[in-house]
Amino acid sequence: MDMQEELEKALNWAMNNLKAEYVELRYENLKKNNLELKDGTFTTFAGKVQEGIAIRILTDGAWGFSSTNRIENLRQAIEEAYKLAKATAQAKKEKIQLADIKPHEDFVKSKMKIKPKEVSIEEKVEHMRELEKLLKEDRSIKSTQIRYEDASGEKILLTNEGTNIRWDVNYIVQYIWATGKRGDKLAAGRDSIGTVDYGWEIFKDEQPNEKVAQRVLRKLHSQLEGVAPKRGEFPIVAGPIVVGIIAHEALGHLAEADLTINSPFKDLMGKEIAPEYVTMSERYVDGGFGNDRYDDEGVPFKNINIIKDGVLNEIMLNREYAHKWNMEPNGHARAQDYTFPPIIRMRNTIFEPKDWSFEEMIEDIKFGYYVVDFRGGQAQLNSAFQVGVQEGYIIENGEITKSIRDTSISGIAIDALKKITAVGKDFGIETGFCGKGQTAFVSSGGPHMRFDGGIIIG
Amino acid sequence: MEELLRYGERFFDELEIAVYRNREIGVNIELNELSMSAVRERTITIIRGIKNRSLGLAIIDSEDGKRIKEGIERAYRMAKLNSQDKRWKSLPSPGEYRKPRKINEELKDVSPDYFVELAKRGIKLALEKDKNIVVAGGGGGVEWSEERITNSQGVDVIQEGGGAYIYFELIGMKEGKVTPGIFDFDAKLSLDLNVEMAVENAARKVKWAYTVEKSKTEETKVIVEPWALSMLFQYTIFPAFSGERLIKGTTPLASKVGESVASELLTIYDDPLHEMSLNPRIADGEGVPTRKNVLIEKGKFKGFLWDNYWAKIKGTESTGSGIRNPSTGGISIGMHNAVIEKGKKSLEDMIGEIEHGYLVDGFQGAHSSNPDNGNFAVVANPAFIIEDGEIKGSTVFMMSGNVYDLLNQVYEISKEQKAIPFMGTVISPSIAFENVRIAGK
Repeated sequence: MDMQEELEKALNWAMNNLKAEYVELRYENLKKNNLELKDGTFTTFAGKVQEGIAIRILTDGAWGFSSTNRIENLRQAIEEAYKLAKATAQAKKEKIQLADIKPHEDFVKSKMKIKPKEVSIEEKVEHMRELEKLLKEDRSIKSTQIRYEDASGEKILLTNEGTNIRWDVNYIVQYIWATGKRGDKLAAGRDSIGTVDYGWEIFKDEQPNEKVAQRVLRKLHSQLEGVAPKRGEFPIVAGPIVVGIIAHEALGHLAEADLTINSPFKDLMGKEIAPEYVTMSERYVDGGFGNDRYDDEGVPFKNINIIKDGVLNEIMLNREYAHKWNMEPNGHARAQDYTFPPIIRMRNTIFEPKDWSFEEMIEDIKFGYYVVDFRGGQAQLNSAFQVGVQEGYIIENGEITKSIRDTSISGIAIDALKKITAVGKDFGIETGFCGKGQTAFVSSGGPHMRFDGGIIIG
Repeated sequence: MEELLRYGERFFDELEIAVYRNREIGVNIELNELSMSAVRERTITIIRGIKNRSLGLAIIDSEDGKRIKEGIERAYRMAKLNSQDKRWKSLPSPGEYRKPRKINEELKDVSPDYFVELAKRGIKLALEKDKNIVVAGGGGGVEWSEERITNSQGVDVIQEGGGAYIYFELIGMKEGKVTPGIFDFDAKLSLDLNVEMAVENAARKVKWAYTVEKSKTEETKVIVEPWALSMLFQYTIFPAFSGERLIKGTTPLASKVGESVASELLTIYDDPLHEMSLNPRIADGEGVPTRKNVLIEKGKFKGFLWDNYWAKIKGTESTGSGIRNPSTGGISIGMHNAVIEKGKKSLEDMIGEIEHGYLVDGFQGAHSSNPDNGNFAVVANPAFIIEDGEIKGSTVFMMSGNVYDLLNQVYEISKEQKAIPFMGTVISPSIAFENVRIAGK
């Protein structure tokens, strides 16, 4: 069965038989591998086929959505989405309208040099075993868990406006949780890698096992040897990963148009909210896990500056909110998979680098903290955030001294922005997942940054 | 299914076929309006086969016989590539199931229109209550699932059922100030959802949140409400009950069976057939009968939870605590419906008796806790200050420490419990802790 043809037939049927303003069909067919190595044993060793269709229909100013993996029931599922939209429309005062776009016809090729489907399972197994071995060479390791997932396949997006995009979809994810013990003290180190543009080559070039294992062990030892931090407000130097999680959790979500409307950002557009040397972007990043050419409405992904030279400048939009705000859609409508409708999501959220060196940043700090990596982070719509710290150090008299154990930093991001006193010239990102009812692949990062106040530790 | 098992036995020493059929209907609320109605249908089949102690899994988006056979072959190819697990014993054998809870058939056929009406009613009610309120988000719907787990040891169990939910997230905007998002919900195994209660509770808290008070750095009394409590426990103490962690030495409870680990007021057990459960399962994710497993009784730790695999390694029996991960097909140890036993006093009285203290509605960052040692450092938000037995306003503070210390600081438990539909279900009361160190903001 040629799926492209089937979808086009179904779309034509919908256009001829339903009085819908907008019809969107999104088909997905992925072959996945899920492997999980826990202390020498593969507890998950799965091959997975994920295939189904998402249907989204706008009629009378309201959305209806259905998803099914019974491809033979496609027409029925379309009718169902249509009926749902009709039912919602009856209760709707303000009709939904979509910003106009130029429909694209395209084939989005993968940039991966070595796609996951071109690598044998044996090699994947060997890779994971080697990583486990490297971790377990450290005598304080009690337990390790390494999860690996990859997928190769296709996604097709068709709309009644003429959008016709096919993607060669590929991704790789690796996640590590290592538990270590010293005396009575238990501690854990977490690490994640996600990639859509680099393929299996990433484990040879950028993220070889030795480097990853070293990183996990460094985090773990910083906890095992760590001392409890003093609670309170001190100068904080945050590394790229922590800067990134603040950008994502505490500020990025406020700049998602569906959330902006209920957040303090709503009244701050065009206003100065940070020093002029602070710029925060949502953009393409080399190695970014959120990279893509189009979103799930077929809109090209556009780089934007959420904060430009200290001024709140742009927000992330889908077509519905672009119309509402009278702006251009910028490619942020994303769906986890065929079982979900697209919603406004981040991709790669980062602070842009400036000109400070790390040494300059810490040299005049008498007492403060250097926070390097996190374990979980969360924010409220008033930009109050909490980030668990899994690697952090004390700064004393301009030098990094002892590590600190299980702690977190918190603050109100909008206030903390004003306390940024230095922006580094380096740059780094972390790749991971964002949950907003659905999971999305995202990156976040930036340079080292110094906050003189605005962040509480402990 | 029998035929498929026989087909699988051509490849495997033993195998399990689990079919999950899910249908979800729901409506979304965005900005005082309904935004979308949706129906999501999905059937997946998970094949778990073992050949010469090597595990192979396949997950397919179908229940079609031919596709399942292809899945069996794929699982076999995976098993051949996997290394031998010398500790593997066998899949579970059949057991005796408890009587299932009565199924509410009306959940199966309910139309999304029903939830359109409920949502409309809730939005109207919230806006009438307080003109400064925005219904920022919300939703309602039904999740219906049917599952069948069969294996070549003779397990064959069918379970079906569904649950309904409705929730509202309210934000207050007054004099340029935005309150934190405050939500409340109702979830039941029937359509008898209490929209009024959910809206009423959330709107009351928004009202409290208009007045913002500074919190101090101090040692004080803190009442933690069900949602916040279940989040904190899910990421600190609950993982420590896992038998796998006992074997691996990564639970602080390793040598504590029979010992006191918490206040005498505290009893925690797992029972999917508890009257308030939203997850009334008679069999766990691999077909083993579920049962009531007491974990902490009057402060004493009673024992660990086991799935089939780790129980056989330990030489004990599964406690019916195998949880299937539908995205990887794997089984891990967990709880179906954790119950924190209720106390005697009403929450209102508990608040009324506090001269100075705090009430916590939500924790930010519970998931950044460390389950390996129970350490946590969370932000209480939304939280409220209590003065002379009354709520004086909202506040934010940091609470950090170790859950095992906290368990010994319980001094009162509310008589009201709430079913929290979060990673399984937790039936939780509000718990009051004393001498809690907090860092004010």
